[in-house]
Amino acid sequence: MAANNPAGIDKEQAFGMAATEMEYRVELFNRLAQTCFNKCVDKRYKEAELNMGENSCIDRCVSKYWQVNGMIGQMLSAGGHPPM
Amino acid sequence: MDKNMLVGLDGLPEEDKARMSAMIDHLQLRDSLRMYNSLVERCFTDCVDNFTRKTLQKQEETCVARCAEKYLKHSMRVGLRFAELNSQAATQD
Repeated sequence: MAANNPAGIDKEQAFGMAATEMEYRVELFNRLAQTCFNKCVDKRYKEAELNMGENSCIDRCVSKYWQVNGMIGQMLSAGGHPPM
Repeated sequence: MDKNMLVGLDGLPEEDKARMSAMIDHLQLRDSLRMYNSLVERCFTDCVDNFTRKTLQKQEETCVARCAEKYLKHSMRVGLRFAELNSQAATQD
């Protein structure tokens, strides 16, 4: 680490962290989309549009998934990470 | 994910912004290819069960078309909600 950097983080580390964060967000989005599709959309594909019920379900599913994501995030950061 | 993320990086030197921009481009490309693969797998799994012929039957084609369109619309909707929740979370900090 650079001795003259008060934050203790060098640029390469910052880029690495930014990349990891972005990858995490993409992964979160993909899993969220897949999960809520599986939970909310009728697989018989009677039409190409999402109906009102599916739309509401999707909105609520995303909201709940987000809440769960927050809960787990808090639990993991509060309790610390147990050694595996 | 889009370049709106870069708005928060105004203070950075040009080369750093360019590097972040390149990273986002790379992630977007990779994500698009993954979406392509997973959509094909999903619609195939949901729509195609019959292997008495080697070409798709009409109802299988229709099913696949609807499946793909539906998933893409769904994905857009999720994207909107995701962005809303992301910006809420940001303002709460």
